[in-house]
Amino acid sequence: MENRGKRAQLAIFMIIAIAIVAIVLIIAFYPKIKILVTGEFAPESYLKTCIKPEISSIMLILNKQGGYANPEGFLVYNIDGNEEKIKFLCYTSEYYKTCTVQEPFIMKRYALEIQKVIEQKASQCFSDLKKQYESRGYSVTGTLRDIKVDIDLKGIKVSFNSPIAITKESTERFDNFDVFIDSKMYEILSISQSIVEYEATYGDSETTAYLQYYPDLKIEKTKLSDGTKVYRVSNVITKEEFIFASRSLSWPPGYGVLT
Amino acid sequence: MNKERMVSYNGRGLIIAISFILLTILSINNAAAANATTCCEKTQSGLFCQNVPAEECDSAFRMTPSSCDSTSFCKPGVCYDSSSGDCMRNTPKIACNNANGTWTEIIPDSCSLGCCILGDQAAFVSLVKCKRLSAMMGLLTNYNKQIKDETSCVLSVLSQDKGACVYESEYEKTCKFTTRAECGTTKSDNSSKATFYVNKLCTASELGTICGRTRDTMCLAGKDEVYFKDSCGNSANIFDSSKYEDIDYWTNVKTKTESCNSGSNNAGSGSCGNCNYLLGSFCRTERGKSTCADLNCKNTQNGNSYKHGESWCVYNDAGTTGKGNTAVGARFYKHICINGEEVLEQCADFKQEECIEDKITTTLGTFSQAACRVNRWQDCTVQTSKADCENSDKRDCFWKTGTSIGNSTSDGVCLPKNSPGLKFWEGEEAQSICAQGNAKCVVTFEKGLFSGEECKENCECLTADWAKQRNDICMSLGDCGAKINWVGDKGYKIGYEVTTVG
Repeated sequence: MENRGKRAQLAIFMIIAIAIVAIVLIIAFYPKIKILVTGEFAPESYLKTCIKPEISSIMLILNKQGGYANPEGFLVYNIDGNEEKIKFLCYTSEYYKTCTVQEPFIMKRYALEIQKVIEQKASQCFSDLKKQYESRGYSVTGTLRDIKVDIDLKGIKVSFNSPIAITKESTERFDNFDVFIDSKMYEILSISQSIVEYEATYGDSETTAYLQYYPDLKIEKTKLSDGTKVYRVSNVITKEEFIFASRSLSWPPGYGVLT
Repeated sequence: MNKERMVSYNGRGLIIAISFILLTILSINNAAAANATTCCEKTQSGLFCQNVPAEECDSAFRMTPSSCDSTSFCKPGVCYDSSSGDCMRNTPKIACNNANGTWTEIIPDSCSLGCCILGDQAAFVSLVKCKRLSAMMGLLTNYNKQIKDETSCVLSVLSQDKGACVYESEYEKTCKFTTRAECGTTKSDNSSKATFYVNKLCTASELGTICGRTRDTMCLAGKDEVYFKDSCGNSANIFDSSKYEDIDYWTNVKTKTESCNSGSNNAGSGSCGNCNYLLGSFCRTERGKSTCADLNCKNTQNGNSYKHGESWCVYNDAGTTGKGNTAVGARFYKHICINGEEVLEQCADFKQEECIEDKITTTLGTFSQAACRVNRWQDCTVQTSKADCENSDKRDCFWKTGTSIGNSTSDGVCLPKNSPGLKFWEGEEAQSICAQGNAKCVVTFEKGLFSGEECKENCECLTADWAKQRNDICMSLGDCGAKINWVGDKGYKIGYEVTTVG
């Protein structure tokens, strides 16, 4: 009786262990498993699953560092308990003066930084895609020429410029593959660009003015003692955020003539 | 026999006051020499076009010992990106080149703005940007450069006709609820043009389309309200659960005022989707269900409730404001209500900015707005009349009667309403500002032949009241005198000194 109880307990532990291993394997090899289970093979979906974690991880860095993976001219500031290097998108070292724009096209820079970081992974994903076709009996000719990252209203678009021909019984040709990742960064980066323009022109920005036209937007401005401002622009629905710094039209303590 | 005694407040009298003035002049000269800067095209820290000491410049880039504004390489101009149509002013050439933009000294024609119509939305942008936005939304470019401002641009789309656009697709009569202009570009499978029915919904039975009513709801881009959704995926009228069976409500377009509870924000209502952004509600979809989300802030830090977008001033630190006795380290704050959350924004430190607040009265109620504004305290002490002192167009000062600064014979003194913060722990500026509060009072005593001394003139200078009055002036000038800090603690020292000489 006691032995039966022990065996039952062991069986339960075994089942739990197998379930955990299965979950880990599903997470690790999700795209391949999906193909095995469904039998269908969508190249764009495969590339998206392959490249998305890389994009998400670089976006987290870019969002906290003013759109730069390795910023120069930054402020070290504590964001949610971590010291971050926040890029000055507009800066003046002087008092009483408006700032000089350091990055005129934030969106373009953001896309370029993603592109630079994911290039290697994209190449690897494309090779894996070819292997996937070959393992299913296809012959694949063509290579990945380059990739292009673009940000639009609906999200981040990664275009794989890869003219390839896939042959089994017939030949199918693809000029490029477009992978789309949902994001509201277009709006967030556009507003950030507008804030930088206000900072450079007037020395400050009126954050409440944006609320009239952008109901899902939240802008937090933190003014530091030396006049530096840390902006945190976020979307209250998607929780995506973009953080950057600016120093413009600062006032010294007192008259600011004696040091 | 007369004997004069000098009672000096926090100083050694005239000699010390003169010393301060000389010191100030010398320090200004020294500071100017020390601050001699160079325009660096790039600094060692990686910043473009900064006026900094020469040793901070990146030697691989250009530099010149003058202001960046007067150099050819750091002059600000306009940077244009031909791929996105974006233009950025106040950009130095190097930052523009670094971003692969085209730099010009004056604004190029390609940066001129016009109205870009994007379906029932609009954007006031450049032509290239309009083309890009239209492509993103799958629309034909509709650009009007005759419209010269953003408000007119937004208003131009609000006046567009909207209605049912009926066309044939896969041998079925289908419909799209859209604008007249967009319908004009829609074609049936047999290449015949679509027919537009102004102010009609796709579910109107007279149109005979395949689109029928559903209980589903949806949010629309740029619209406050929750809308009914038809079986073709089009929006119908504003969601009103009592109108589901109403044929007219599914036939003709109803305005916001013709819909349910139009005077209310209907936040959280399960029966009416007439949200009103100005009253603090907006259509939000959660778990597939669209409702009017409440964006207003209730019971904020000061105990009041505010609408979404409202801002107000908060001063939580010790001491008072507006009376020349603002605490050391105190700061003004602007609070904003955003999406039901109270967000705070600091005004500049050292009380260089103060918070101002006002209310606008509209038909929908009052709306509070606050802003951080520069504290104009700098020229208070040089004003000699009450009228000039309290001229709120020019400065933020108040007139204190019955006293004077230094040895002035004026019957009052002009002092900052919110005394500025000073870096009293370093440099000499705090000393020179506080020294303006120094005063000398000559008290005359008469000594009797057999008795002791008797005070004859300016005897009030010997009282505690005089010292307090002088301290009040001193405190108003900045972080001087016997002040408390922002948490209400006193300093370790008394903060002033009364010296009796002679």
